[in-house]
Amino acid sequence: MNNSIEIKNLNKFYGKKQALYDINLSIQQGMYGLLGRNGAGKTTLMKTLATLLQKKDGEITVCGVPIENAGEIRKIIGYLPQEFSMYPSMNVGEAMEYLAILSGLNSSERKTRIDALLKKVNLTEHRNKKVKALSGGMKRRLGIAQALLNNPRVLIVDEPTAGLDPEERVRFRNLLSEIAEDKIVILSTHIVGDIEATCEDIAIINEGRVIYNGTVDELLQTAEGRVFTMTASKRELPQLKRQLSITSMHTQGNKVHIRFIADTLMQGAKVCEPNIEDAYMLYLHTSGVRDILGEIGGEW
Amino acid sequence: MLFVREIKKIVKSIPYLIFVAAIIIGLYSQGVFRFDKDPLQEPQPGGVNGSYGYRYDEIPQMVMPSALRNLLSEFSNNNYTTYPIGFMKHVKLGEGEQEGMAEILSEITGSSKETILREVVGIDSAGSDNYTFQIGGDNMQQGEDGNFTIGSDAKQHNEPEKLTFAVRDDLEYSRFRELMKQADDLLGGGSKYAPDSLSQYGTVPLTYEEAKERYKLALNSDQITGGYARLFSDYAGAMVLSVLPVFLAVILCMKDQRAKMEALIYTKKMSGVKLTLIRYAALVIAAMLPVVILSYLSNMVVWGSYSGMRLDYLAPLKYDLGWLMPSVMISTAIGMFLTELTDTPIAVAVQGLWWMFDINLGIKTVHSGYSLFRLAPRHNVGAKAWFKTQDYLDYFQNLMQNRFLMAGISLLLVIFTILIYEAKRKGKFGGNESIKRVFSNFRNRKNQSQA
Repeated sequence: MNNSIEIKNLNKFYGKKQALYDINLSIQQGMYGLLGRNGAGKTTLMKTLATLLQKKDGEITVCGVPIENAGEIRKIIGYLPQEFSMYPSMNVGEAMEYLAILSGLNSSERKTRIDALLKKVNLTEHRNKKVKALSGGMKRRLGIAQALLNNPRVLIVDEPTAGLDPEERVRFRNLLSEIAEDKIVILSTHIVGDIEATCEDIAIINEGRVIYNGTVDELLQTAEGRVFTMTASKRELPQLKRQLSITSMHTQGNKVHIRFIADTLMQGAKVCEPNIEDAYMLYLHTSGVRDILGEIGGEW
Repeated sequence: MLFVREIKKIVKSIPYLIFVAAIIIGLYSQGVFRFDKDPLQEPQPGGVNGSYGYRYDEIPQMVMPSALRNLLSEFSNNNYTTYPIGFMKHVKLGEGEQEGMAEILSEITGSSKETILREVVGIDSAGSDNYTFQIGGDNMQQGEDGNFTIGSDAKQHNEPEKLTFAVRDDLEYSRFRELMKQADDLLGGGSKYAPDSLSQYGTVPLTYEEAKERYKLALNSDQITGGYARLFSDYAGAMVLSVLPVFLAVILCMKDQRAKMEALIYTKKMSGVKLTLIRYAALVIAAMLPVVILSYLSNMVVWGSYSGMRLDYLAPLKYDLGWLMPSVMISTAIGMFLTELTDTPIAVAVQGLWWMFDINLGIKTVHSGYSLFRLAPRHNVGAKAWFKTQDYLDYFQNLMQNRFLMAGISLLLVIFTILIYEAKRKGKFGGNESIKRVFSNFRNRKNQSQA
């Protein structure tokens, strides 16, 4: 059984404006992260995979099924959009029941599947609660549960942790990791921590282009020797901000500890272990992207 | 199963409760739950004060002089009343068109066009001294309402005082009709001279035998309850069911959008054809449910008054399905189609306008009550006039054509709704956004061409 998503030379336009440029990706079973700024093109790519948008050209196959065959694709995917809700006057059980009918489940399948999914997302005791009374985190979990109703081979989740508190975010990541044991789960996010905690394979998208495609470890390797820390006085900070690509900083009295990306070691700075955020920033930094790709032969 | 869910979704909503309340209030105000106060009675010799009522008939001897009198009056003031799209309109003709009208009058009366233009224009037609109108015929009488009826031995003795106009003796009625059609065309249509309106100029008193015949038809053809069911349908169709279902359709169709559920539903397995058809059926059935109940409540109040007589207990259901359901279908289909197309509640305005237009068409003639494009057919006749069952039977084919046309257009709109839904589902069409883009492109092109 083919359990992969193959995207070749995908281009997408909104009118005359091109949103995706020649995307090539091969996504295998497990968690796959799509990282990029807001407006980078992640949602467009996710919607295209979910048959909600039509591509201009290129090829997409989902588990061997061409994307043009939308009816078949819908049978094997589950989709949780970035912004969603459900009929507020329905309770959790009714909303699941309604969407299960739309998913083509028969009566007995509906009962067992809804019970199992509500248990999985920890909403069993909230079954009779109105959708409008659910917290943001509960609503997201209900969203995942509805996306799994048809036991899909591919789960597409767009910015699922946006707006969640830290505890809910951790629960949600763990839930996705569990689901990814036997499925392809594509997680799109602009929050680096989500990717760090869950994904091995990722792609970074910027302005409609894939600027990185590989494993998290490889991404970290590309940033090795280019991330530094230093301590400076607060007075120097404005000048340092202009000179350096600072990825983080924290102040302590009159001192400020900064973490930055640079090509060469500066006086007073120390090389440190890069994290994904550093590597991601390195890729987004336009000149950095070009230089690094030139050196390591990375993918555009 | 989805059908039951959709029905539940509709009937448990507040808009539906408002819909039901509006139907009940609307129909109650028309007296449909007090039909027992309007009993069907057998005509007795002598009638009520010697009258059995009236009927309209296109009797040439009555129609020609009466229509001529009306036309002369309007011509003299150059102020014609028409109902071109249902609403009353005062038409003032230009010089050339008035000459055209004078030619028509000339051919009808035999007076020259010049005479008519010189003598008639501007005179006060209300003043009886200005001109005399010779009706002609020995047995015609003008009633208080201004209409002409055939009396038994009455004679008309109008002596010419200043000007005399009468229909030429040798004018064939078929030619008169053609001339009336020309007059109507000059006025832009919708006038009282339109061929299908001419019968209004002939009010004929019913005879005892005719009244008796009507009564028999009400008993045998309508089986009494049919007449009441038709009257209920007339009120329900015109007052509420041609317009209210559009609200339900718009609210339901916008519910997915407002609940941000579109993407969740679009990516589910269910086909757009099945989903749209089920939702449409659910809306129509939900709208029809209170109608069926209320039609029976309205009809049942008279059942006790006719014990021992043959009644058609299925009459309300027959009229609900045959007469009222196509109105509900078209109103619902317009609601679904325009909401899916534009993502806005514009369907309410569109249907509201059509409804107002249709209501204003009124029930001027039997024919207009059953015309092809009627949103709600009209037959506003109660038991006192023995339901005028013959008119209904005469126009039954027109009624069927109208109802099938409305149902057909509804299904066509539902097919278009499915196509739009599928296009939106695949991102080929963005509803309101796409429409805005088209207008914006059009504006840009226009600006560019002007520059």
